Formats: sequence, structure tokens, C-alpha cells
Amino acid sequence: MTAAPSTVEAGDMFFEDFRVGQVFHSPPHVITEEALLQFAEVSGDKAPLHVDADYAAGTQFGQRLVHGPYGLARFFGALHDLHIVDQTVIGLLDTNWRYLKPAFVGDSLTFDITITRCRRTSAGDQGVVNRHVLLKREDGTVLQEGTTAFLVMARNSAEPGSDPAALDFCGPQWTKDLAARLDGDAEFGAATRSFDGTIGLQAGTVATSLRIYKGKVLEAAAKSLLGPTFTVQASELVWTQLMTGSRNDFIPRTLRGEFSVVGSGYDYLRLTKALMRIWESGREMAGEML
Amino acid sequence: MIEAQYVDLSDSLAYVEAAGEGRAVLCLHTAGQSGVQWRHTLSGLSALGYRVIVPDLPGHGRSEPAAGGPIRDLGRYAEWCIELIDELGLDRPYVMGCSIGGKLSLDIATRIPDRLSGVVAMAAQAEAPSPGGVAGLERGLEDASSPSRTDRTYYGTLAVCGRRVPPERVEMISAMHRREDPVVTTSDLIGWFSHDIRDRLERITCPTYLVVGDDDFWLDLDKVRWTGRQIKGSQTLVLEGIGHYPMEEVAGFPAVAHEWLTALAADAARPR
Repeated sequence: MTAAPSTVEAGDMFFEDFRVGQVFHSPPHVITEEALLQFAEVSGDKAPLHVDADYAAGTQFGQRLVHGPYGLARFFGALHDLHIVDQTVIGLLDTNWRYLKPAFVGDSLTFDITITRCRRTSAGDQGVVNRHVLLKREDGTVLQEGTTAFLVMARNSAEPGSDPAALDFCGPQWTKDLAARLDGDAEFGAATRSFDGTIGLQAGTVATSLRIYKGKVLEAAAKSLLGPTFTVQASELVWTQLMTGSRNDFIPRTLRGEFSVVGSGYDYLRLTKALMRIWESGREMAGEML
Repeated sequence: MIEAQYVDLSDSLAYVEAAGEGRAVLCLHTAGQSGVQWRHTLSGLSALGYRVIVPDLPGHGRSEPAAGGPIRDLGRYAEWCIELIDELGLDRPYVMGCSIGGKLSLDIATRIPDRLSGVVAMAAQAEAPSPGGVAGLERGLEDASSPSRTDRTYYGTLAVCGRRVPPERVEMISAMHRREDPVVTTSDLIGWFSHDIRDRLERITCPTYLVVGDDDFWLDLDKVRWTGRQIKGSQTLVLEGIGHYPMEEVAGFPAVAHEWLTALAADAARPR
């Protein structure tokens, strides 16, 4: 059974064509004065900082500032320019955005788009695709950064749980597959033989836990009764890079503050080796997908 | 032939190895480690016509602990090294060091620039890397708050070796780095994270190389380059695919070090 209309362009991507770790680079977009003024008109934000050159010359920026949401809006333009979901896109679901540095007329903008999660909806004929987005100026400076999810048509209708789970970090099937690997891993068993507690893992907003007693994983589930002894968390982008990158770079990522720990920091340190086995197992699972 | 001796310095015995004949090269190891990091340099570089001198810093390897407890001020190590240079009667030695040893090389050069033939400072910058790193290290001085210490050293070393280093060598380096006294290492790291010699760099007048691997995530390449720019006539070399331990990671390191020292000697011969 096909869920797709027959009119879809050949270049369009369906839900099944997206894979965590894919990166798209947009063509450049140069901000013109005309576009700035048009954006002021459409948004209604005609603050002098944006539209009055004389006024703006006296501000800390020394020139007119391009509206922050112009960058966000251009992300959707960039997506259109890529022509990958012209007729398969169904709708926008969320946008979490940070405005890091100002943009000015004349700046050339490019977007780096990384796919960080793909999940089929319960109806089975559509999928949610999470994207991490970097908005960069031509010199490489990151101006804006965010995540945004959208809904895409599936090529074929299928059961929600039927898609591969190896890149659905911290999802229910991913956790079960991970636990099965860890149970067969003598090093993980030895490293947790003196541990009675729960390791929490979280990728973006998706959390899971491994209940462990004397080297065995007793339960792999989203929640444990007493809660995790500690939880290691990072963004979906960081998980994507750690799991699909050329080497296990967990340690430099912790030094850069990309991972955070809540709960018992002592037990987190104590289980260093066990965590390294978790990352290695997760990377093996991902490696078999790629 | 490697000669070994215990030298009485600052009320504690220092273990020092030496080999070869020629211009002396004092080789300084990294935080928490020992002169064993220079074992291949000791034999290889001495065969190329140098007297290679490899001490274990106080509290490390086979040297006795520093009188008064582990050293947390790299400046004290620098004084100790100058005392060693005096005690051994080294004539215009080169000083080559890595990580805290690299920073020590620079520090020593700020103190006795006229008495050195040159400096090779590897994996070092003048600025204290990141303020605030010290508080966590202070907690880590307590064994009870620093679990799985050897595992963390092992995995940390695996991660900071460069991408071009063969896996067997990375494993060897990481396994050997497990041999440390955590209190001494942590004290060294407190020194590393708090020692700032930016305002003294202009005193360095001897030929100087700064060497840094591009896979070394402990160093900020821009800050290494900045350090180089403050030292008149110095050069900064970036080693591709190498991490934090060039003397252990680079294949055929003695020959590479010989090239650097030869270039420093040529530099010294030019009018400054």
C-alpha cells in the first residue's frame, strides 16, 4: 500500500529517505537592503534599529540590524532551495531557536542541516523528522542555531515500530537492543559488578534507563521506580555525532561541556568504563545501519 | 648505554638517566608521568650526537616526593630543573618538554635564557588554560572523591592521541599512563591550570620552537600561536594527526627532534 500521491517530484524525499546523521548544506543567500525592508513590512517590526539607517549608525552596531527571525525564516527558504521535500512536507511541528550573533545587510548566509531523529507516527503513513540547524555567515561564524521538527509523508505505510531503531537514541527499542548487547559484553559486566543502581541516558528530550544489579541489566525502560542514580545527557546533535563519527570522542565532548550529568557525579565517574562500553555498543549498532 | 643516578636536590633524591655524548638535551615529562616517556628518545637521540638527560620530576617515577608534599606551582619545578642543570654542570643545554614539561621549558627559558642553547616546548601555551578548572581538581585530590581514576586516565589518553598514531602505539601509551600517583598528577594539573607566564615571555631570547599536535584537544592552537608570537624569532610547528604526546606518538621521534635541534642551532648561529 502506498501513502504517497502520484504527483510527487522525483527528487523529493519521503520519511524513509531520511536517516539520522544526514547533513544538508544550503546554497548561500545574501541579505539585501530591500529584503530587510520587506521583512520589516511583512513582520510589522519597523523599529528604528532595523529600518532607520541614521538612527542605527548611533547604536552599538553602527548599522541597521537584520531582524533575528529573518534568519529563522530564511531556513525555510533554504529548505525550499534544496528542493528535497517540495511536495512531501506536511507541516512544521516545532522550532527551538537561539540568536547568537547579529546579521547585517550584505551578509551571506548558509545553513548546515543535520537530521537528528526520525520517528514514524502512530498512523504509520507519516514521520516526524528532527533537524538541527546552524546558520553561518560566509566567514564561518555561527549566527543562529536551533532545532526544528517537521512532518513528512511516508512512501509506504507501516507499523510505527517496524523501522530500524539503531539511530533512535534512547528510544524504547534502541534501549532494548543496547541492553541485549551489554548483557553479552564481559567488560560491561565486570565494570558494573559492584554496582546496584540505574544509569539514565538522555538524547534531547528522549530519556531512558538501564537498571543494573551486579553486572546484569535487570530492566531497560524509559523509567525506573526509584529513578536513575545518574543521568548522562546531551543534545540529539551531540548523540548523532558521537554515535556516527569516525571515532569515539566522548571525552573531548565532555571537556567541551557537550554532555551534562545530573544525579550522583561520584557514580558517574565510578562507571567510566561501563559508560565507554555503552558508547562503543551504541556506535556498533549505528555502524551496522550506516 | 644508559647511565642512571640519584642526585640530591632540594632535600630529596632525584632520579636521572643520561646517555650519549654531545650537547646536553634536558627532557621533561608530562603531568603525573615519568622519564619513561622519553625511553626511545634517550637511546635514539643520544645516538645522533647528544647527551640526553631525563629526570623524573619530584614525586614522579623513581624520584622521591618533594619535601613538603606534592608540587602545585610549576615555578617550583622550574627552579628544581635549574638546580639540576647546575648540579650536573650542563653547559648551554637544550630544554625539551611536553605538556607541563613544555610549559616548564618556557618558564626555565624566561629565567636563564642566556644559559640555554634552545627550547622545544611541546603541547604548551603561556596562558593558564581555563580559570575555574582548579576547583574540581582540588576535590579530586581526595582519593574518596576521585573514583575510577586509572580508567579515566587510560580513556583520556586514548582520546588525546592523534588520529595518525597506530592503534597498538596508542594502546601502549595509554596503558603506560595508568602508572601514576593520582595526588601527584592532580597537583601537576593544578599547576598546569594556574601557571601563567604570559608577562615573562619577552625575556626568552634563546631559539625556541613551539610544537603542537592538531588532534591535541587540551591546547588551543590560537593560544599556542599567540605564545609563539611573543617570543622573538620563535617558530610554531603544527603536527598533523598527532595529539598531546608527540615524543610518544611520532614514529621515529629522535630523528625529528634532531631536525628541530639542528634548526635551533642554525638559528642561534645567526645574528639576532
